[in-house]
Amino acid sequence: MAEHDAEIVFKKETVGKLLSGFFKEDKTKLSSDATLLMAEILKVFVQEAAMRSQKQAQSEDCDQVDIEHFEKILPQLLLDF
Amino acid sequence: MSVDQDETLQRLKAAVHFTVGRLCQQLGEDHGRGFSRQVIAAIAETTFRQCDVFAKDLEAFARHAKRSTVTAEDVKLVARRSSALSVYIQNKSEELNQEQKKKSSGKRKSRDTEEESRE
Repeated sequence: MAEHDAEIVFKKETVGKLLSGFFKEDKTKLSSDATLLMAEILKVFVQEAAMRSQKQAQSEDCDQVDIEHFEKILPQLLLDF
Repeated sequence: MSVDQDETLQRLKAAVHFTVGRLCQQLGEDHGRGFSRQVIAAIAETTFRQCDVFAKDLEAFARHAKRSTVTAEDVKLVARRSSALSVYIQNKSEELNQEQKKKSSGKRKSRDTEEESRE
């Protein structure tokens, strides 16, 4: 990776379309700030999922994070968000 | 659902999958433990479905405030379940506000965004 600290985030456009697509009513709109903050929440969600899976893999002494590790952390992850 | 809508959905899923993949790769490099493709796909799918939950919550919060536009205040409510996340989002929101103030170069120091959404 060229720049390690170049922060990886969800594109604002993606988040906007994603959330708008799930709204029940068409007239519901999304403010620009709200979209940016949601992108941030989603990033934290993914990082949390990845970190917890990694911890689980570590505790089982595995070199690679596999689906069973993610399966184990999933219930608590969903409860925390 | 029309074919067109279906395609947009698939594209959005692909976009989420792409970003999840990059985030996982970065974490994998940092900690020397890679993620299998299956895990990345599973995290992407979970994120996608979680978006559905978030969107419905946001819509309901906005409606409750008699608004039709989802604002930063609604997002703060979505983050209420975890106190650390809640604080993090509050700070981000402040940052965004400050940036906007710089742009508009207004001198007003209204701090109405500091209302905290504590349980």
